[in-house]
Parts: sequence; C-alpha cells; structure tokens
Amino acid sequence: MSNAKAEIFAAIRKSLPSPSSATNIAEALAALRNRVNPTRPDRVNGAPDEVFLARVQSPGVAASAERIANLDNLPAAVARYVSKNNLPPSIALQPHPDLQGLNWSGLHIHHDIATDEPVAVGLALGGIAETGTLVFHSQPHSPTLFAFLPLHHIVAVYAETIWPWLEDYTAEFVGQTPPRNINFVTGASGTTDIEGTLVRGAHGPGWLHIILVEQ
Amino acid sequence: MSAFQGRVSSALADATLKIAIDRTTNTARTKRAAAIGAWPEFAEARELGRDIKDHVIANLEYYLTQFEANAIKTGAKVHWARTGQEACEIVVGICKAANAKSVTRSKSMLGEEIGLPHALEAAGIERVETDLAEHIIQLAGEKPSHIIWPALHKTREQVGELFRANHTDPGALASVEQMVNSARRNLREKFMAADVGISGANFLIADTGGICTVTNEGNAELTTTPPRVHIVTVGIEKLVPSMTEAMTMLRLLVRSATGAELTQYTTFHTGPKRPGDLDGPEEFHIVLVDAGRTKMLAEGLAEMLRCLRCGACMNHCVVFRQIGGHAYGSTYPGPMGSVITPSQDGIEQFQDLPRACTLNGQCGEVCPVAIPLPKLIRGWRTKAWVQGYEPAISKTALLLWRFLALRPGLYQFASNIALRFMPIFARSGWIAKMPLAGGWTTYRDLPSPQGGTFLSQYKAKHRKAAK
Repeated sequence: MSNAKAEIFAAIRKSLPSPSSATNIAEALAALRNRVNPTRPDRVNGAPDEVFLARVQSPGVAASAERIANLDNLPAAVARYVSKNNLPPSIALQPHPDLQGLNWSGLHIHHDIATDEPVAVGLALGGIAETGTLVFHSQPHSPTLFAFLPLHHIVAVYAETIWPWLEDYTAEFVGQTPPRNINFVTGASGTTDIEGTLVRGAHGPGWLHIILVEQ
Repeated sequence: MSAFQGRVSSALADATLKIAIDRTTNTARTKRAAAIGAWPEFAEARELGRDIKDHVIANLEYYLTQFEANAIKTGAKVHWARTGQEACEIVVGICKAANAKSVTRSKSMLGEEIGLPHALEAAGIERVETDLAEHIIQLAGEKPSHIIWPALHKTREQVGELFRANHTDPGALASVEQMVNSARRNLREKFMAADVGISGANFLIADTGGICTVTNEGNAELTTTPPRVHIVTVGIEKLVPSMTEAMTMLRLLVRSATGAELTQYTTFHTGPKRPGDLDGPEEFHIVLVDAGRTKMLAEGLAEMLRCLRCGACMNHCVVFRQIGGHAYGSTYPGPMGSVITPSQDGIEQFQDLPRACTLNGQCGEVCPVAIPLPKLIRGWRTKAWVQGYEPAISKTALLLWRFLALRPGLYQFASNIALRFMPIFARSGWIAKMPLAGGWTTYRDLPSPQGGTFLSQYKAKHRKAAK
C-alpha cells in the first residue's frame, strides 16, 4: 500500500473507528435501493418509445425526431434531412454492420470522422424514455467521437431498445464490465456559460436528429 | 478593514458585476424552481440522495477499497494523494512521462482547489481550458467566481471584447451565439492535438471502478477521448455504490444546478481504450485526492462531504448575489464555500466567510442533499468566537447586546430610546445616514421604525383582545 493511501485510510479509521461488515453494508444498500422507485419522476406512463419520442422533442431536450418503419428506410430519411438543411450529401457513417448493410446510393459515405465533420449518421445502443436520452457504448463499431465531432448528428435507435427509466438501463448491465465509455446524449450540445443563456452547438453537435426505427 | 471587507467593498462598488451576477443567478433560480416544480417526488428523492451519500461516507474505507480494486481490473492506474500539492505532482509526473507538450482540461473544481492550472503552467506544459467559461477566464487571467458558471462575473459585452482580442478570426461578436461559435472554431484543433486530457469526476462508481462526468458542451468527451492519456483528479468523497445510485444523484444534481433533467452529456469512463476500439486513450489514470476531506470528517463536517457541487446554495444566497464569488477569496464561494474554506485554509484567515451570511436558511432549503448549511455556518461562528478570532468591535457589540438581553427592563428602555432617536434621521420614511450605522447605510437605506417596539405592539394587541 502506498504511504498516501495508508495515511488516508488511517485518517478515515480515526473518525470512523468501527467499520461495518460487508454484509451489513450490503443490507443497508439494499434498503436504499428499495426506496428508488417512488422517487422517479412519474411520467413514463405510456409505451416507452412514445414517451421517448415526445421527450426528445420537448423544449428541454429540443432534438428533432421522426419515426420510420424499418432500418431500410434510414438512407431515404437521412437524404431528406440533408437536403432539407442544405447540407453536403457526404456523411460520416458509424462503422456499425446494421448501417453498413444499407443501400446508401445517392449519398457519399465515409467511415472516418473529421474534426469539422458536417454530418454523421449513427445507431444508438438504445434510449431512455424518462429523459429523452440516447445511449452509446464505445465499441469497435461505435467510436465515441462520432457523437461529438459532427455539426449535425443523425441517430437511429430501435423502438425495442427504449428503456422506461434510467434505472432500467442500469439494471440491464448489472455485473458486466462497462465499455470504456458509456455516453448518455440528451439533446444537442449547448452552453449556458455566458449570462446563463442557453446556446446550442458548443463543442459537440449543434443539431441532433433522432430516427426511431419501429422494427 | 479585513481583506475580505476590502474585496466586498470593491465588489459592491462594481455596477457591471452586479448586472452580470443578476443575469445568471436569476435565470438559474427560475430554471431550478421550474424543474423542481415539475418533479413532485423531489422531497423523497432528496432524502434518498442524502442517505446514499451518508451511507457512502460512513463506509468510505469499504467503498474506496472496492472502487480501487475494480478500477485496476479495468486497466486504470489508481494514485492516492494526501494533499493538493501531492496530487499536482502526480499529474505533472504523468504528463512528463508521457512527454506531453499540450494538455486539454475539462472543468473540475477539484483541479482549481488543488492549484492544478498553476502547477501545469509551472511545469511548462501548455494548458488549454476547454469548458467555455474556463476558456473565458483563462483568456482573462482570472479565477472562477462560481462553481457551475466560473465566468459568471463577466457580461456578454466583456466576453465579446475578450474574444475579439484573443481569438483568431472571431468574426462578428454581437450575440452570445457568435461568441460560442468563435470559441468552437478556436478550440477545435486544440482538442485533437493534445497529448493528455485532464478531467474531474462528478461521481466515482464503486462497483465498476468507473468515473462519471456531466457536461453540456461535450468538451469533457473531446478532452478525454482524442489524447493518448486521460487523467482524472477527484475527491475521495465523490463515491456512489453503483450506477443505480448515480441515477438518483444525477436527477438531483442537474435539476439543482442548471434546471435541466440531465445535462446534454453524461459519460461513464471506465478504464483505457479496449482492443478493437477506434478511439480513446491508451492510459487512464485516476488520482484520488484527500486534500482536507478526512480532516472535515474529523472536524464534525461529515454532512458537508455530501456536497454534489451543484451551486444552488450560492444562486439562492442573498450575500453571494450582492458580492459575487471573487470577494470570498477562496476556491469555493457562497454558503458551501463558507463551510469548506475555514476547514481547508484555516478559520483564522477565513473567519469572515461564515459571518457573511444572514442565516435566512435558503441555502439549506435548496440543497439537493439536505446539507444543513446554516447549522454548519453557525458552527464556524462558534469556533471563531471560542478561539478568540471575533474582531474587537463585533465582540464588544455582542457583549453589550448580551448585557441588555439579560435585563429585559433595560432592553426595552434602550429600544424605546432608539425608536425615538432614529426617525430624526429619516427623510420620507428612509434613513440614508445615521451615526453608528455607516456599515449599513453606505450601500442601502434603512427603513425608519414604525409603530413602537415589538413588546409595546404585543401588549396593545393583548389589551385589544382582552376587551
């Protein structure tokens, strides 16, 4: 044990001389967990994907969103977004096999992402209805920077992967080693650092467009 | 006049500062109130948040041990620092070993507390602050004046001038949007070119060995992903048992800080880049810092270790809103700072801080983890009194008051005299100047007393009721 660690622990021991047993700590923690559900904002009272879709478009999250029937319709939805916003038809495509298997004719695709990338298209691991949050796990087919470098981030998410509350997401991965990064993305980047005024598009994307995929 | 009083006088005389403080704190209070209003379960959640933090602090040794073991398992390197200086030495050492020329930093109050910006500069390493507010104060060569909005003391006009002088091709800077865009363009390449990224952590997750950061700008992830090395500096009290508890704490923290439900980016960082990952650092270091936390535990300030650093207490503090953060002369301003600073830096030097408080109780009411701030502030006043740091003038005044308060007849007599004497100085019901009241009337008027003393009104009311 390093000297610093030993000294810090000795100082803790001085103030808290009789540590509880692991069993007692686990019991106390279980009692705390039993109290979580009544403290959650009581708002996920419909189908999670519907609540999610409403939430992401609410003023607090302020993303744009649409629904498509299946992933095959994604390239067309992306093309519509790109043309509507007068963006170049060149997109950085997250290297996810589901996305790579689609027909992207009419759009120029690349898999590396530039520092000032105008548009990136990705697939989220899932979403959380309570807060209108997209969840990304860093993995070989889901690099972290795809969610942070583009100016416009278009994200597809499957309706079946929308968790109702934040705790439903965490429950799914209990006991597993997390990826290097778990990124919760709730709206486009913003800042309130100048006079508390919210401005979108700080360092991360200025626009977030969410496409909910029914199947 | 003490150094604190000197800083307060100049703050009160600064009209621009007052505008800047009002603009941000008013927005913050309004947004927080709306967010809490839309969450009927807040009171229960607040009690749960308090109990989670108390549970962790009571079992700090257990959870620190668990956190360290899990972090090491994921490939993180864990370092321990007793003091701020020791922490800085560790960070600078890692930077030097990595041959770092340039370091990006995502806002961390602990980093400010331990003097990390200065330590990096002293080591000749280029430091790029990436949070917009920290970028502003780095350009201005100043220190943060608020723990959530470090540049709260700057008006948009002042930020515009600063960017015009320092940014490459700033373009028009008439609106806040244009200023944010100019900062985005100017910091973009710095993010990608840095050798080391340094962040703080809002939470340490004991059962995974990961750390959690919350930001709105996305600067934390751009600080921690491109460089080869990511260093986290974090206080040992930031632990939560698991991701589940982190969710409760996030609900409380973000609503209390900015009035949002979640920040735009909540990221859990666990270990370095994994095999096959296309981005992420090769080295992930966590520096666990004591720097006075175990001392607070020993001094009976365990409740203060619940603090989530949301800033709600200062946004609601009538004193902070008049004088701003710099006047406190400490890393942490406002009510939470008035409790932490005397412990960290000594009551002798910072005895003014717990006294710069009206004890109106607002800070304690808005605290998302129910820290009894007024009680802790009163505790410091008592300590300052017992240790003899009370200035002679207030000591004499308090002893005089005690003398009168123990003699009700004399007290009433004195109150009656004051009531007759004060209106002589009033013009249209307000006193602008009066002997012995200069401390008050320099900055505001005093209302002229009306309707007799409390006791005479009380007696009159009773007589009326008896009839």
